[in-house]
Amino acid sequence: MMILVTGGSGSGKSAFAEDQVVAFGEAERIYIATMFPFDEESRKRVQRHQNMRKGKGFETIECYTGLERVRVPEGSTVLLECMSNLVANEMFQEDGAHERTVQEIQKGVKSLREQAGNLVIVTNEIFSEAVSYEGETGTYQEYLGKINQELALLADEVVEVVYGIPIYHKKKKGGASGEESVE
Amino acid sequence: MEMMIGGAFQGKSALAEKRYPQVNWINGADADWEMLSCAKGVLGFHEYIRKEMKAGRSVDQLAEDLIRVNPDVILVSDEVGYGVVPIDAFDRAYREAVGRICTKLADYSHRVTRVVCGIGTVIKDA
Repeated sequence: MMILVTGGSGSGKSAFAEDQVVAFGEAERIYIATMFPFDEESRKRVQRHQNMRKGKGFETIECYTGLERVRVPEGSTVLLECMSNLVANEMFQEDGAHERTVQEIQKGVKSLREQAGNLVIVTNEIFSEAVSYEGETGTYQEYLGKINQELALLADEVVEVVYGIPIYHKKKKGGASGEESVE
Repeated sequence: MEMMIGGAFQGKSALAEKRYPQVNWINGADADWEMLSCAKGVLGFHEYIRKEMKAGRSVDQLAEDLIRVNPDVILVSDEVGYGVVPIDAFDRAYREAVGRICTKLADYSHRVTRVVCGIGTVIKDA
């Protein structure tokens, strides 16, 4: 089972994703952390998320680039957070995939999906603004948008979290009404 | 009239072209009013609004005019109103115009599909 969780900043995506993981039961829980703690603000964010996960029995794997190299126990429940950080790392860090970011992340996710019993991926909606970005920021939106579409194809469920309320764009049982996919 | 809306890079155009393969789509960024008024389908409709405003032409009556002359057109447009209020005055006016125009057009449309992560959800089917 693979679930893609998306939504705006501070919308309750993480809490929802963690609930999903816990609901998968007693399998080993792996947290793949992608935020590189490069300053005080990001360290605080990391700390906040660590506190949220406390007591839920997660083992944390840090992965800033090269998702394909990550090994998780077979049948484990994996939470990857957040795709938007991973994409930025791959694009802008020296050892990142740069212009091959979309393909490399796709490979990484497929590899994870094969190893894990259940996979939950948190991503981010950053696409509905009036300012149209050029250069790196525009490319970043393009890459993340493409990856989100690819992940949605792979996923069994796609959920947009709006202020803690889940809106299902794709659902395993029953299916959301009016749903239609690109592919 | 029908609309397909959503954020940038969500696969709106791909979904529109898949749903209506027979339609000869035009791009809002390259279209003039003549083209818009007889088009079967328009991709990047928001770009038409931006282009007109950049050229100093009024878009106040765009929704009403389009409904009058081309009531069966299929419009694919970005949603641009979810971010921080832009610093630039033109960006603010553009953002507001896209919202107002698309709201009127969505009110007239029989079907509106919102696309997230490549998945279209029909949010209006009247």
